[in-house]
Amino acid sequence: MWEDEPKCIKDHNRRLLAEKFELKRNLYKAFIRDPELPSELREKLTAKLSKLPRNSSFTRIRNRCVFSGRPRGVYEFFRMSRIVFRTLANQGMLNGVKKASW
Amino acid sequence: MSGVGLRRLLETAVTQGVTEARARIFGHVLNPTGQRSPHKLLRKKLIGEKVSQWYPHDITKDDPLIMAAREQERLSKLEMLKRRGKGPPKKGQGKGAAKRNKGK
Repeated sequence: MWEDEPKCIKDHNRRLLAEKFELKRNLYKAFIRDPELPSELREKLTAKLSKLPRNSSFTRIRNRCVFSGRPRGVYEFFRMSRIVFRTLANQGMLNGVKKASW
Repeated sequence: MSGVGLRRLLETAVTQGVTEARARIFGHVLNPTGQRSPHKLLRKKLIGEKVSQWYPHDITKDDPLIMAAREQERLSKLEMLKRRGKGPPKKGQGKGAAKRNKGK
């Protein structure tokens, strides 16, 4: 089904981790930016933020195509790559999508 | 009772400006000096749930028969390649590893 299954699995794991640590991450980051807190506390928080697993960052996630696993040319609205989108849309499997002409 | 509270609100509006009064009524967080504020990050919505649900769950994964059949196919494919001599190389023998060892 997928052309690059291991990468899709890794991406999925990153997504789960990101969801798990999101709240903590946001909190730490927000407190670091507060200028009114004492600076030892801020340094401690930066250390804590750096100790979080790297794969829990949102920037490490790539929106891959759900059908083919393609990392590029993926539309977020359909979660599909442009190639798969075209094949499915021409077969009529996408509801409400038809060729544009105006 | 509400009359006294209302008058106090009007007083702050007159003395300290309309913005402060508005913030107090609606619970806004003010930053008149424009310093870095944690409020900017904390008011964003959480997206973790949506992000983790990108890949749909594959129902063929729940069926042990299908999974067994797939595993068999994968193993037989590997065997065919090995018979032809095209299987995966031993550790340290592949293209990248050979380059690395040679360069060392």
